[in-house]
Amino acid sequence: MWARYRLEILAIVAILCFCGIFLYSSVLLGDAEYAGSDTIGSSRVAELAGVSEEDFQPLIPQWEPPSGEIESCLFALQAAIGGIFVGWVFGYWKGQKSRSS
Amino acid sequence: MHIMEGFLPWQWCVVWWIIAIPCLILGILQLKRVLASDREALPLLGVTGGFIFILSSLKLPSVTGSCSHPTGTGLSSICFGPWVTSVICAIVLLFQSLFLAHGGLSVLGANIVSMGIVGPLAGWAVWRTLRDTGINMYLTVFLACAIADLITYVVTSLELALAYPAEVGGFVSSFVLFLGIFAITQIPLAIVEGIVLALVFKYIVQLKPEILIRLKVFPDEKIRAAGSDA
Repeated sequence: MWARYRLEILAIVAILCFCGIFLYSSVLLGDAEYAGSDTIGSSRVAELAGVSEEDFQPLIPQWEPPSGEIESCLFALQAAIGGIFVGWVFGYWKGQKSRSS
Repeated sequence: MHIMEGFLPWQWCVVWWIIAIPCLILGILQLKRVLASDREALPLLGVTGGFIFILSSLKLPSVTGSCSHPTGTGLSSICFGPWVTSVICAIVLLFQSLFLAHGGLSVLGANIVSMGIVGPLAGWAVWRTLRDTGINMYLTVFLACAIADLITYVVTSLELALAYPAEVGGFVSSFVLFLGIFAITQIPLAIVEGIVLALVFKYIVQLKPEILIRLKVFPDEKIRAAGSDA
């Protein structure tokens, strides 16, 4: 029984460890902002180039989500699209398998 | 791993686009061939592509006090190869640059090279090396997926360092600086991603071993032995 679910258990332990490390390090790094590494990378670029971040204008004009809420909505939409694919296919395979056996 | 729109000089944008385009064309041709030769490949493509959509939208906190997202490209790369994976990544990255202002159209080439080409290629190389050895199948999937994730961020650091060498220490010191931001943050995420995708692979083996055998993802015996355990 344990051998059969070895990988599931390992995945749960890994995710719990990940959460534990996050909680521990967020206490240690009390003032961490948890900004995206992309954002931090961009500000380093600005430092290296010796100009302010506002000086970097898009080369090709770009629409930006008007607020963080709209951005997270669109991210959730992206995850949902993926979830639909994954769920649909696993259901399709499961149906195929149970019909053939 | 997204380089933001406007943060790469146009010369570098052109360079990365020139590298990306032939890979995408090759990917589209391979995709057509695989889908025409095997009807059952389409659902598998849906699952592996679906995970790229899901995982690349999850921004997770990491030990460095910043957030980053996994890529999910390893699974698709071992099933269909890096070129097909680059096509799926291009779709995801296009979505993100059009609707989320993550990345952009000029830097899309650079972002496709890191997330869609070199990362998956590294994962594919790990898988290809270990496939026919005695190493456990799930361990191979774990390593391939974790490496694909991590190398993606190493390549982003490389792209930024090439465009912005430091005044003191030049390219190398810039590269180290960006590695510190991108790659260190990514290590725990890459490990978790590897384990989760290995688990997903286990379910594919249980439900649809035939397609994995036909695509020669692993030798027959390995897949049959794993399928009969369940």
